[in-house]
Amino acid sequence: MTTLFINDEEVTVTAGTSILEACRKHGADVPYFCYHPELSVAANCRMCLVEVEGFAKPAASCCTPVSEGMKVRTQSEGLSKDRQMVMEYLLIHHPLDCPVCDQGGACKLQDYTITHGANHGRYAEEKRAVVDHDLGPFVSTCMTRCIHCTRCVRFADEIAGTGDMGILNRSDHMKIDGIVEEALESELSGNLAEICPVGALLDKPSHDVSRPWEVTRHKSTCTQCPQGCDIVIESRGKEVIRIKSDHEGVESWICDRGRYVYDAFRSVHRISQPTIKEGDGSVAVAWDEAFAHAVNILKDKKVGIVFSPYWSVEGLASIRMLKDVAFKDAKVAFDLHRRDMRMFAFEEGFGSSTEDIVEADEVVILGSDLRQRLPILMQMLRKRSNEGKSVSRIGAMHYRTNSELSNDQIIRPRDWHAVIARAMQQLIDQGKPAAGMKEWMAKVTDRHEAGKVLADALLADTCCLLVGEEIRSHVDAASLIFGLDMLMRASGHGEVGRDGRNLIPEGMNAQLLSAVFGDVRVSVGELLDAANDGDIEALLLIGSDPLGDGLFPVEAKRAMGKVPMVQVGAIAGQISVFADVQLPAAAYSEVEGTFINQEGRIRVATQPLKSLGEERALWKIMMRLAQDLGFEAPAVSLDGVREAIAQYIPELKDVWAGKADGGWKVPVKRNRIAEMLPNDIEPAMALDVVSRYSMYREGAWVRASASLAEAGRLHALDDVIVHPDTLAALGLKANDKCTFQTSNGACQFVAGTRDDVSPGVLFVSKRGVAGDLSSETMVNLSKGGA
Amino acid sequence: MTISSDPSKVTAICFDRINIPNQNKLSVARENGAYKFLSTVLKEFDSDKIISEVKTSGLRGRGGAGFPTGLKWSFVPRNTGKPIYLLCNADEGEPGTFKDRDIMRFDPHLLIEGMIMAGFALGVHDAYIYIRGEFLHEANVLNAAIEEAYAANLLGENILGTNYSLNLTVHRGAGAYVCGEETALIESLEGKPGRPRFKPPFPAVEGFYACPTVVNNVETLATIPAILEFGGAWHAAIGKPNNTGMKIFSVSGHVNKPGNYEVPLGTTLRSLIENQCGGLQHGSVPKAIIPGGSSTPWILAEHYDVPLTYDDIVKAGSFLGSGAIIVMDETADMVALTRRLTHFYAHESCGQCTPCREGTGWVERVMTRVENGSGCEADLTVLKEASEHMAGRTICALADGAAAPVLSLLKHFPDEVRSHLKEKVA
Ligand SMILES: Cc1cc2nc3c(=O)[nH]c(=O)nc-3n(C[C@H](O)[C@H](O)[C@H](O)COP(=O)(O)O)c2cc1C
Ligand code: SF4
Ligand code: SF4
Ligand code: SF4
Ligand code: FES
Repeated sequence: MTTLFINDEEVTVTAGTSILEACRKHGADVPYFCYHPELSVAANCRMCLVEVEGFAKPAASCCTPVSEGMKVRTQSEGLSKDRQMVMEYLLIHHPLDCPVCDQGGACKLQDYTITHGANHGRYAEEKRAVVDHDLGPFVSTCMTRCIHCTRCVRFADEIAGTGDMGILNRSDHMKIDGIVEEALESELSGNLAEICPVGALLDKPSHDVSRPWEVTRHKSTCTQCPQGCDIVIESRGKEVIRIKSDHEGVESWICDRGRYVYDAFRSVHRISQPTIKEGDGSVAVAWDEAFAHAVNILKDKKVGIVFSPYWSVEGLASIRMLKDVAFKDAKVAFDLHRRDMRMFAFEEGFGSSTEDIVEADEVVILGSDLRQRLPILMQMLRKRSNEGKSVSRIGAMHYRTNSELSNDQIIRPRDWHAVIARAMQQLIDQGKPAAGMKEWMAKVTDRHEAGKVLADALLADTCCLLVGEEIRSHVDAASLIFGLDMLMRASGHGEVGRDGRNLIPEGMNAQLLSAVFGDVRVSVGELLDAANDGDIEALLLIGSDPLGDGLFPVEAKRAMGKVPMVQVGAIAGQISVFADVQLPAAAYSEVEGTFINQEGRIRVATQPLKSLGEERALWKIMMRLAQDLGFEAPAVSLDGVREAIAQYIPELKDVWAGKADGGWKVPVKRNRIAEMLPNDIEPAMALDVVSRYSMYREGAWVRASASLAEAGRLHALDDVIVHPDTLAALGLKANDKCTFQTSNGACQFVAGTRDDVSPGVLFVSKRGVAGDLSSETMVNLSKGGA
Repeated sequence: MTISSDPSKVTAICFDRINIPNQNKLSVARENGAYKFLSTVLKEFDSDKIISEVKTSGLRGRGGAGFPTGLKWSFVPRNTGKPIYLLCNADEGEPGTFKDRDIMRFDPHLLIEGMIMAGFALGVHDAYIYIRGEFLHEANVLNAAIEEAYAANLLGENILGTNYSLNLTVHRGAGAYVCGEETALIESLEGKPGRPRFKPPFPAVEGFYACPTVVNNVETLATIPAILEFGGAWHAAIGKPNNTGMKIFSVSGHVNKPGNYEVPLGTTLRSLIENQCGGLQHGSVPKAIIPGGSSTPWILAEHYDVPLTYDDIVKAGSFLGSGAIIVMDETADMVALTRRLTHFYAHESCGQCTPCREGTGWVERVMTRVENGSGCEADLTVLKEASEHMAGRTICALADGAAAPVLSLLKHFPDEVRSHLKEKVA
């Protein structure tokens, strides 16, 4: 610790802290532009000057470390003049177009001009103008406004890892530029507009729409992925203007998916009124009429309920409450990416906290395109990698991470058993067996060398696994997860406090879903097949879109139209044409409710946006349905719903009562009895199918966003991709038309090739085109085609 | 070498062999004493002894800042597990300076020998000469000399049969003045744009590729062989206390014989100009003198008798800098001169610091206007404030250098500026 004096006040900070950070911590106001707590120090704006006793000249506080007994002044006549001059320098080339600049009202340059600037500028020479650069669908530029603080450049280098912003030229010709026209390569690009202290980089989709003082800010939780970032939604009246990261939240950044989905909030894809089907279209009706139709469809039927995890905890629980009173033997399904519904030894959700993961000795990603799947966690891992800590991966593809991985093995999904068995063997050889391993291994003939990466990591003192979609969607997922569970327990990463078992969930609230629906859920595929076969007579679809997402599009196509369907939702999705009744439910941003993220972190939203139309909270719709179906509503208030949830997770009661320790996290469900041995799967076909998870198109919300669709187009890959060797072995080359034999018949595609896909894998990258292949786990490939 | 072991008789150190033809050839250089003492240093001296001799010698850096070389070397942490680098600053960009160039093109082996000794003292195994891009001929001469030195086992593995190994590489700059600033030089050598780094950390601790690094000027390093051969005390006896040794002055401007002259520190300015440089072109006293390169404040005739030492020039209000003396006699147009210098700095600013990026261009534009006769009285305040608030408030000292001529002009020749305003406005 170092003790110094800031404006005569004694202050103690960690040794090595900069003067600026010491001042910030102790409430001494020092103006700055280039400093950013999450970025490296650049020390170029020179706004943060302070006086230090014994220094001949004012010092830049952001890059001067504190020293014992140092005497710092943050205010003086000299400093006022210095700051005034820095403002004057900055403004000589600044266009002063505040009246037409989106940043106006929330601009550091503007604010400091008022507080530190002179009342007029003396520059009378020619002004500089800078050509703008096209940075793609999310960031608009007005580079003449740039003050060259290089925050954006450091962001691209250090946080995004893409390095696609740079500095060109020197002297006052210096300019900030993108490297590639059109697209920033980063899934975090929207943060650029937030870190730019001026109006040089602005949010493109919300450009020229509003002024900062007109908007109302709603603290909320993003539900677009299980990370559940803290966000602030800015609205003006009923309009949603933009989404930003919540600077009081836990992370400084949010991803482009969570940020730009907001245009879907007010898109034509919203279900804003109750409707009923009429002819080829639908007509708006009053709520009462719509409920009456819904009751007609559902009453006394064998019902199948399919829902999405986007809802609040209260909304989700109310689905179960409805089922328990009205549809006792209904089939319920929600996970569009899970084929194996047997219990998992560790269910979806994280055993580790984010800090544990960031600090662990070893982190291993198993079968996940983490940059697309969990961009914020990936960003933290990137930071970790940049600090030289190990992050390794085993999966079907060398998915891009924009950082260096310590080890990256590609395998086919059918190899997972052999990978795990290889790791088990190593642990046994090194004296770390677990009961059950021998039996498990006996069912697996092969050993795959990629298992060494896993076993080596397990031998570290602390190790976190991030188990991804390739395993979660495996037909034999339960045995793989049981295998991983044994490995983790054997190597000491299964105990409370050191639990490194993390199964990346489908979406938010996974812990609640396994607690509340664990005993009744079936796979979406099974449910849809039942509808097709007549074992289900009516469908209640609550926010899910199995036609557009997930692993059951063929099953969904087959089932649609076979049975009547009631759709409760906020976004219509592809599937809505089959809805006989639509009941509009308020979106996650429009309700008071609770959200649980992957690590069990709880957020209770209290400042919802207003819905645009007649939407109602999901729990209200569920309770009304129960009533109209002739049952007593299990709850009549939000508190009533919460009471019911407390049966499953009692601790939540304290959270709602405001009595909980803020750090309490909802634990992940463990299933001790889920001791699944590997199934004998005879690979019947040559290639294993892996479906791309694209953050720009997965999920009905995202597909309703025009700006994310545009990004999806820019970041698109070939329709289907295989390794060049896979083609070569069949005497084919890239861009040849190929026929794919599947369990559902044959189809033709031009297969693109990439070296980074595992040989033996068919990577389905364009859902809109080759989506039906996602229903397959294996295919054969042959030459030619119609 | 023909350097006298009697300090009072020393007439040259770095330029000792400068007039002997073909010094750049190893055989000729060796005939004249090059590398004569190297094997003694490698075999009988150790790091502590060398650094202590250099400290005793009182040698101060010849690149501009005048920082004591021995002290700089002693700051280098030795057991970090990281390699230590030695970089020779041969960027010689300061307007008025042209001394390093002569050492490199006429006596490259002197520099190489100095670098081997410095490298040995610091435990360096990879050293670089970062040479100004325009010095193509000098780079070729150096490369040829280095090649010969490798062939003669003066560089490379196990130099002269000892355990010491050193690789030496010449790297050509790409024409940016700021790359002479040591941290910009490091960035540039790392393959990045030449933008200075803020300090701390200092290069001695975290320099080239974040490893401990010493950056020394050509002349500084070329002085090392003589110091080790004749002893630190010998060097300390040359010149003045705290300002020891010989110094090459690059004299230009209104003198009859401009050029490089190596004289003992403490020689007076008048003596240098009258005895070595053939006197002024016009008049008996200069109108103004830039004593240490264009970045140093001007001094006036009242200081014509100042002894040329680091300390005395500071007392006179300026810096000895790199020893580039630019002499202006009564015919000089100080406004035009300043305007030209402001153009240089505006062009060379690396652009990262607000005051320097924006201030240098602003000042240049106002100076241009003033020179053209469209200036006004208020411009004097602008020039003064815009310059004052650049100096000392930026990452590197380029901004100080940019401010110096303008502030000197306003301080010493305000009437000349005003006459520009009046004269042409009317
Ligand atoms: C803008 C600027 C330009 C510089 N250019 C040079 C140069 O061309 N050559 C040089 O030796 N030092 C130059 N310096 C000084 C170096 O930063 C550094 O102090 C010097 O190389 C150290 O060597 P020395 O201790 O041997 O003098 C420059 C400094 C600044 C601020
Ligand atoms: S664009 Fe914005 S963030 Fe980037 S350097 Fe300019 S002012 Fe800074
Ligand atoms: S990372 Fe996930 S939770 Fe965060 S903003 Fe993106 S989609 Fe939303
Ligand atoms: S003072 Fe000028 S040259 Fe030096 S770092 Fe700053 S902008 Fe670059
Ligand atoms: S914040 Fe310190 S120089 Fe910019």
